Amino acid sequence: MTDSPAALNDLAFMDALLNLLIPPNASGSLPGAGTLGLSPGVATGLQADPLLGPMVGAGLQAIREAALAQHSEGLSGMSPEAGKRLVEAQNSANPFIMIGLLRYVYPAYYQHPQVLRGIGAPARPPFPEGFDVEATDAGLLEKLQARAVTLASPPTLLPDRRSP
Amino acid sequence: MLNEPVGVLVVGAGASGAAFAWSIADIGTSVLCLDQGPWMRQQDYPTNGLDWESRGMAEFSTSPNVRRLPADYPVNEQDSEISPLMFNAVGGSTILWAAHFPRLTPGDFRSKTEDGVGEDWPIDYETLEPYFSLNDRMMGVSGLSGDPAYPYHEPPLPPLPLGKTGNALAAGFEKLGWHWWPSDSAILSREYEGRAACINLGPCLTGCAQGAKASTDITYWPAAQRKGVQLRTGCRVREITVRADGMADGVLYYDAEGQLQEQKAEIMVLACNGIGTPRLLLNSKSRQHPDGLANSSGLVGKNLMFHPYTMVTGIFEQPLSGHGPVGCSLWSHEFYRTDRTRGFVRGYSFEAVRGFGPAQTAMWGMVHGLVPWGEDHHRSFARLYDHTATLLGITEDLAEETNTVTLDPVLTDANGIPAPKVTYRLSDNSRKMLAHAGERATEALKAAGAVQTVAMPLLREAGWHLMGTARMGRDPRTSVVNERGQAHDVKNLFIVDGSIFVSAGGVNPTSTIQALALYVADSMKTNLATLFDNA
Repeated sequence: MTDSPAALNDLAFMDALLNLLIPPNASGSLPGAGTLGLSPGVATGLQADPLLGPMVGAGLQAIREAALAQHSEGLSGMSPEAGKRLVEAQNSANPFIMIGLLRYVYPAYYQHPQVLRGIGAPARPPFPEGFDVEATDAGLLEKLQARAVTLASPPTLLPDRRSP
Repeated sequence: MLNEPVGVLVVGAGASGAAFAWSIADIGTSVLCLDQGPWMRQQDYPTNGLDWESRGMAEFSTSPNVRRLPADYPVNEQDSEISPLMFNAVGGSTILWAAHFPRLTPGDFRSKTEDGVGEDWPIDYETLEPYFSLNDRMMGVSGLSGDPAYPYHEPPLPPLPLGKTGNALAAGFEKLGWHWWPSDSAILSREYEGRAACINLGPCLTGCAQGAKASTDITYWPAAQRKGVQLRTGCRVREITVRADGMADGVLYYDAEGQLQEQKAEIMVLACNGIGTPRLLLNSKSRQHPDGLANSSGLVGKNLMFHPYTMVTGIFEQPLSGHGPVGCSLWSHEFYRTDRTRGFVRGYSFEAVRGFGPAQTAMWGMVHGLVPWGEDHHRSFARLYDHTATLLGITEDLAEETNTVTLDPVLTDANGIPAPKVTYRLSDNSRKMLAHAGERATEALKAAGAVQTVAMPLLREAGWHLMGTARMGRDPRTSVVNERGQAHDVKNLFIVDGSIFVSAGGVNPTSTIQALALYVADSMKTNLATLFDNA
């Protein structure tokens, strides 16, 4: 059996796989995950993960070998449809492989500036600019003020049961 | 190595240790605090970078077993239905908390009298009220006075804005005629005491780069240090040492270089949280205290209470602009009181949660089968992102002696100190309460306009609130500390963290933990001359 990191370190394979997981959208505003250079980071994350790393690594190795058995260039040489069929077949045997892989792919993808812009989010960290938040609805506040207890009045929702 | 003896030695620089140290400094003796963690720096918090969501799942995870940082100790949680969470640094878990800041209600202090379950506390809400208020001022609490679920109190700052998410949820509660109120939040709605106002970064659970969220490293500690309190970081306490008469006389701890140090003190105060404190007591066996320190009752480590959480997320057609402090918008006490027709005793509160970040949206959607990989990925993601709001049901856990913190026979931390093992099973009462809370949360979200709801009946990764493992009481046979936080067995040993809770209530405990710490400190100051009588 081949060592599991072989699949993780095969950039062409990983890029092709990531493009199957998150393909570009129809308009082109959102790129495929494999075109963003995420594979090395995903591989590093998995290799450092004692729980998911070995399982996902072994699963990806099986996918890689199955792809190489079908096409001399492996997954990167296959059509998207054929690649998808192959990955789905492996996934149905052990869905945790894809879940484990996506644990690293999704965060990497949705932190990429190009993707953030594509989903309508600002491509910047939250700090230091922060975000605007809508004020509390004035009508709701009025309703609360009508129900509010005062210093002199006991709470109404939780009355003090020791009081006479 | 032997260090200069001190008057008061506090172990733990988190929510309670900081408040206690700041207050006790008034007596004029030397006060030293040891913490196993470091000082945090706001420029290091994840929201300074684009990868803030990834870092929140790794070195800023709320679980010490995920982070595995040098300051962390492992917790064996294999026999627990809820994973304990905490952070080890100056500021403790307030570094990574949501800062949702409800108080326990008056009725929470007398569950036995009211409902025949648990035990009544030896103190009441009214006793703690001045300390709640003082603590609100020290932490910088925003809120709206007049909540009918509580006795009247005035948060020092106006409430945080509800945002679109909160406004939508509040409208749902209004439609149902259910109680709701803007949360008391330990987050600044305005500049306060030299700290900047909240700018809605959102992910409070990974530390606040703005410093608007209260964590005790930026609230109590600067004030405590100005009073002369010393704080020594990177110090992991191995055990509390005792004199021949059984009184505590200091600690043995490992410093940042791994060297064993000895620190003597006249008064010992534990503020290590509901897992760390019983762990330390159980690790402090001696001839005088063969079952661990302060454990003649056998209750150290028993009666562990979490708050079992249920989580229901609604998917809305309209965008909700879900920015803002993630856990702080509104709460509801509609189902807080016992109604036996529901099939359980006691109750729960709701806490509204604002929207998820992009990565969390994708991950959450994946877990629930709503965001697949492949061609349908983008459409599915777009349906969720910025279109979710969540209600957490925070249920009251009843104390049970079978829910415990013990010492793991094998697992140790980096210094070879036995690690804690948590054994915890949900009670039938809690299961029924969680189910009820899930149904009501679904109802509220639908009333607010959710077109679909997704429930997680029990959040496993939600063991934030660690309570009850060295509980307070007047009877030494049924409690570990007295009504002043003083160990029955060791008169110069005090405990000020969530361990001393008698009951859990159905709300986040930090406000009450800190009020208790201030109360214990004040009680010590008042009774200093007779503190060790009957020793």
